[in-house]
Amino acid sequence: MIRITDLHKKFGRFEALRGLNFEVPVGSAFALIGANGAGKTTTIKVLMNILEPSRGNVEVLGVDSRKLAPRELAQIGYVSENQEMPSRLTVAEYIAYLRPFYATWDRELEQTISKQLRLPLDRRIGDLSHGMRMKMALLCALPYRPKLLVLDEPFSGLDPLVRDEFMEELLNQAGEMTVLLSSHELGEIDGVATHVAFLDEGRLLFQESMGELMGRFREVHVTLEQAAMAPREAPKEWLQMRAMGNVLTFVDTQFDERSVGERVRSRIAGVKEMVWQPMALRNVFTTLARAARDGQA
Amino acid sequence: MVWHIFKKDWKLAWGFVVAVASLHWIAAFVKFRLGVSGENEALTMLSQVLPGLSIFGSMFLTSAIVHLDAIPGVKQDWLARPIPRGSLLREKVLFVMATVCGPILVANLFLGVANGFGFRSAFFQATIFAAYLFFFAILPIFALAAVTRNMTEAFVMGCGCAFLIGASLTMYEFANGSSHGTIGGVVWSGVGWIGEAVRLGLAAIATALIAGVQYFRRKTILARAVLVGFGLLMLVSPIFPWNAVFAVQRRLSAAGNSGAHVQVAFEPKLGRYKSSSAVALAEDRRRGGSENDADVFLPLQVAGVGDDAMLIADRAEVQLARSEGGPEYHGTGETFELRREGTGTPASPVYQKIVVPGSVYRDWKDRTAQMQIKYSLTRFVLKNSYAMPALGGNERMPGWGWCETEVNEAGTALELHCLQQGKGPICGTVFLENTVTGERNPPRSMCRSDYAPYLDRPLPDSLERFGTMLPFRDPTGLAKFPVDGAQLAHARVVIRVYEPEQHFTQSLTIPLIKLRDWDAE
Repeated sequence: MIRITDLHKKFGRFEALRGLNFEVPVGSAFALIGANGAGKTTTIKVLMNILEPSRGNVEVLGVDSRKLAPRELAQIGYVSENQEMPSRLTVAEYIAYLRPFYATWDRELEQTISKQLRLPLDRRIGDLSHGMRMKMALLCALPYRPKLLVLDEPFSGLDPLVRDEFMEELLNQAGEMTVLLSSHELGEIDGVATHVAFLDEGRLLFQESMGELMGRFREVHVTLEQAAMAPREAPKEWLQMRAMGNVLTFVDTQFDERSVGERVRSRIAGVKEMVWQPMALRNVFTTLARAARDGQA
Repeated sequence: MVWHIFKKDWKLAWGFVVAVASLHWIAAFVKFRLGVSGENEALTMLSQVLPGLSIFGSMFLTSAIVHLDAIPGVKQDWLARPIPRGSLLREKVLFVMATVCGPILVANLFLGVANGFGFRSAFFQATIFAAYLFFFAILPIFALAAVTRNMTEAFVMGCGCAFLIGASLTMYEFANGSSHGTIGGVVWSGVGWIGEAVRLGLAAIATALIAGVQYFRRKTILARAVLVGFGLLMLVSPIFPWNAVFAVQRRLSAAGNSGAHVQVAFEPKLGRYKSSSAVALAEDRRRGGSENDADVFLPLQVAGVGDDAMLIADRAEVQLARSEGGPEYHGTGETFELRREGTGTPASPVYQKIVVPGSVYRDWKDRTAQMQIKYSLTRFVLKNSYAMPALGGNERMPGWGWCETEVNEAGTALELHCLQQGKGPICGTVFLENTVTGERNPPRSMCRSDYAPYLDRPLPDSLERFGTMLPFRDPTGLAKFPVDGAQLAHARVVIRVYEPEQHFTQSLTIPLIKLRDWDAE
């Protein structure tokens, strides 16, 4: 659905994207995660042809993003936290304006979504709250059943209730749609994303399926016979190593239940007990973000 | 799709459109109420403020229309919508034409029809005026708006452009003054419209390029570079060489070879120029330039102008060279007008005034030099003659306009107020004539060097207002007029309309001349 090859984007001297490569499979819910300024929004704006890449290629629906024409755009839904819509039009007027641009616009679906999102159709867009505006953006992106739905930080600034309504509607309509979603709030994509890519300072740190990612991250607690100390040469896949009393704790980013015991004992002497536990996606994200900041990732 | 986007823009901008259109219509109504003579002070003040305000309103409205779907930026919703860019551009142009130019056209059509001009001619002139404004102001603002995100950005950039234009014109004036009027000289002249037409053409090309680059490729930096490049190119247009521009005007002039018979000759026998008073001469000098400047008046005999014809010197380029060689002086002389009213009128002498810088005069006054004057001349011929009663005159004259007469408050002169559609007449003489005795007062000339084929000014509207004073009584009692106040009841105002027939150049060489010999007496 989307193929990004060696994507670079410069703003003057600042390099916002530094050679991104990843693919969004058809039918996936692909989460682009990273801290603020990691390059998520820039990547999305390039693939929507809102920004032009400095180097590299982006293919969307099999077309170079620079050549996206109305035909392709009619198959893409786009929701962004900072989308500017004509503030003096009412919700109903703007939807009526958009309808003719989409041959596949389904008015029944539009009415269903608008009811479920409880949008005040006669209110001016400029008078809507941020949450209402995001719901409206979703309403404007779904009724034509796009093949690709691009959501740029859709949950930013939403209260939990609105977020749940938004998410519920999104999941209701997702069907076979491919979803590309950017967020810096990991809790928000938990249970939604099937694939994840992690961006840091314009670089892609990894891209994999959610199952694989959650499977390879474990928090490991090693109880030693003596006072714990971090080994001099710990493998680079062990992050956030800390010692407290005789317990050494770290995050294993390449966890394998069959080999973990052997790997630990080969580097740490006097292992008395070893336990591990799965990590929440939020913790995986903060671990990676810290590692990236410290130059470990 | 164009109509669909149009409806959306109308919903968003109708208030602004109505406000600006109302300004144009109110301005037109005020002008209409002012009538020909325009004596109501409050309305006169309004008529001076409203047209400028409404044009500024139109410029802001143009910018606002483009910014409804701004091109630079990354947050606009329309960028991610399947909106054909060509349709969007067509809609913007159409919307601007309908909501910005449309009300201007309607206001001027009303003004023409309400003032008693025919619908067809009023519509034609209103269309020309709206088209001129479209090229003069609306298109450049459209281009500016296309490369900016919002009104603030456009306003700041617009102010920058206005400053650059002002600065370049000031520099041009300074350079032209320093070179004694020899650099260009096209601006503010009769052929200035050619430079203006080139500028309008460049503005249209630049706007087309910028709109293409922005709407189809969204390359704002490139579009801004095009804007700056064309802007600089347009700033160069004031220094177009006079000879080249006048040659274009010659090619465009009506058929005829009447200029071939005109001969301008230096005639020393006519003697020195006699100033009517030393005070007037000093006043002339103060108006003309530095007090250090010296005025030289060359007596000329002009033959071959023909009966009922007029000759206007649009430009006189003067070159002074020492007979023994050496440095030359290059400057311009003042323009003059020569009239031959009626048939068999003897040619009156013309004095070519040349203002020479003091330092040059001191250096050259006693030297024998060779002078060459290259004239750019226009011959006018009588096309129409009209007459109207001196008292209470109210006449519509197709080749001149709608005129009214009234005696001024002091009771010393007859005021002639006229109104014409479009550009109006550029040359005519007006005089008072006693219908019984046939006596005439000296004619007043209303000629100007302006050969633009259309009304080339953006303010105030598509009508030309003009007039003159016809004195019949000297309050000091020194002068006596053949047709005085007592004869007004039997007098009429005669208007003789002249039109340019041919533009041509002629060179006058004076082999030996001393400047000192031709000071005013």
